[in-house]
Amino acid sequence: MLALRLARGAHPLVLLRRLMVAAASAGVGFLLLCTLGYAASHPAQAAASVMRLLWCAVPLAAMVQLAVVVARADPASRPKPGLSSVGLGPFRLAMVAAASTAASCVVGSAIALLVFLYLRGDLGSPPVHGVLTQVLGAEARLPGAGVITLLGAAPVLAATSAAIALRPPANRPDTTPDAGRPPAEQPADPGTAQILPPVTTAPRGLPWGVALMAMGLALEAYAGHGVPPAPESLLPMPGRLGSGSPGVIGGWMLTAIGLIFAGPGLTHAAGRLLSAGRPSALRLLAGRVLQGEAQRIGRPLGVLCAVASGALATSELYGSASASAPGSPFGPLTGLGAALVMSCATATVLTAAVEMRSLRGTTTAALQRLGVTTRLLRHAVAARTAMLFLVLAPVTWLVAELAAMPLRS
Amino acid sequence: MVTPPDNDVLWARALHHSHNGSPALANVSVGVREGEILAVTGPRGSGKTTLLRCLAGQILPESGEVWFNSVPVHTMGPMDRERLRRDRFGWIDTEPHLVPELTAWENAALPLLLRGTPHRVAKAVAQEWLERLDVADCTRKRPAALLQAQRQRVSIARALACEPFVLFADEPSAILHRSDRAQVLRTLTAAARTHGITVVLATHDVEVAGLADRTIALLDGRRVGGGVVTGGTEGRAACSLSV
Repeated sequence: MLALRLARGAHPLVLLRRLMVAAASAGVGFLLLCTLGYAASHPAQAAASVMRLLWCAVPLAAMVQLAVVVARADPASRPKPGLSSVGLGPFRLAMVAAASTAASCVVGSAIALLVFLYLRGDLGSPPVHGVLTQVLGAEARLPGAGVITLLGAAPVLAATSAAIALRPPANRPDTTPDAGRPPAEQPADPGTAQILPPVTTAPRGLPWGVALMAMGLALEAYAGHGVPPAPESLLPMPGRLGSGSPGVIGGWMLTAIGLIFAGPGLTHAAGRLLSAGRPSALRLLAGRVLQGEAQRIGRPLGVLCAVASGALATSELYGSASASAPGSPFGPLTGLGAALVMSCATATVLTAAVEMRSLRGTTTAALQRLGVTTRLLRHAVAARTAMLFLVLAPVTWLVAELAAMPLRS
Repeated sequence: MVTPPDNDVLWARALHHSHNGSPALANVSVGVREGEILAVTGPRGSGKTTLLRCLAGQILPESGEVWFNSVPVHTMGPMDRERLRRDRFGWIDTEPHLVPELTAWENAALPLLLRGTPHRVAKAVAQEWLERLDVADCTRKRPAALLQAQRQRVSIARALACEPFVLFADEPSAILHRSDRAQVLRTLTAAARTHGITVVLATHDVEVAGLADRTIALLDGRRVGGGVVTGGTEGRAACSLSV
């Protein structure tokens, strides 16, 4: 109830972010229900159904990531003196954040169920004909337990991840350089430790990321070697029949995970480039802040790059095939899934940027007291964005090209 | 309209301000003479910070006038006030509020870099000020690795490095221990006197007010008593020796 009361008084932007989570959860729920409908109406094609279900994991992961970032950026989930004085410490607030995440996801799942049943004609409406009939599996009865299990997946996963991500760190012996500081100067509220201190050293994920990418590309090149270049049988896209090529899919997955790992390191490198040499105030502020926030903003950026490179590679491979309508490798739900993943990744980056901005509020206010103009701050944001684009776009393009190369004729 | 007296570099008349309806300042008038150290005393919530922020052009008073060097600040646009703050004013907060990603010298050099000073010059000046404030050994450290007293010294160096015309210090020593407090304030006032910087110092500590030339007292957003001349001989004597 507290989660709802806190949500009622929240800023419209915060509610909009919750709404995004609900919409993403609705999309994922709809995809999962379609998988169930397909499986129920095609009991003979179990392999294809499993393939569809596995593909649903990608939008589900993107949705969970968005939910976690939204929960973290939520002002209600941050320790506040007002709430901690009534006994709501960081632990309880993490629970509140998990509850509100679960609530948004449940709303989304309910909408997905309603839309799905409406389209199937189970709510007394005429069922939809045409291409959607096969997708929805309108002729078969849906198993109730399956519906509940699949629809429950998004809220449970999102709420658990939010609770884990927001739980305050355990009291472990301090290994940070400021361990020698007297206790009075440590942050008074243990919850403030949740706000990550700016990373002063480069994130360590970059070599791992590059290694994973190389492994993924190598695996894919090995598995894709000798595959006849028929676009339909190359890689089973969601919503299409066909046997999977686990090597190719595994390679793509490894490459994507490598890009996600490399994200913070690449962001840090972009910041270092920006403030290289003898920087002016603008470059110094823009670059160092990017370096400091590399951990927070780099991971979502890595996900966005992975999604973008996947989309680029797919359009390279199947672009010509999709032009000819009958042999299209894309099923009717591929578009929904792809749009869901891309919008989730973009929304996650934007939410992380907004979170970063709100966490830097006190520093920004102090800079403005020094006479830093709003214009300079805006230019710094523009410089950061441009630098990130200059660093990340070529990497994304290169990975996409390399991923598509072995599969091309 | 009354023209401001000639010897007042910063001058405010009949300031009224409220924060979303909660009254903060009621009919406060104050004049700051060139090169003097003016202490604004009063308990917490008496409107010291609001008065300083009005004088520094950070907020516009609801009514009343603020003049700096015969230029009306209360009629300036936000851009002009930002430029005035950058080029003429310095500000020291109660908390250091350093940029966490920048090293100590970069933090101290930031106002100079903002004014377009070349990198090399800004670095030299910042390091000189950090030396004067006894934090020369941590120029390459980031704020997270510094002690609170060191951070506040860096923040004072940042305010003094660009040698502002007027320096506003909002309880700069409130978070420090007594030994640090006395030394930091003595360095601050001595440096201000040698460089002819006008200082407006908000404090609730009577001892701190003793370092100032003149003291005005606020209570519940109003001025109480007249401006008291407190001598401030201690600071004047120290300036020729220590800085």
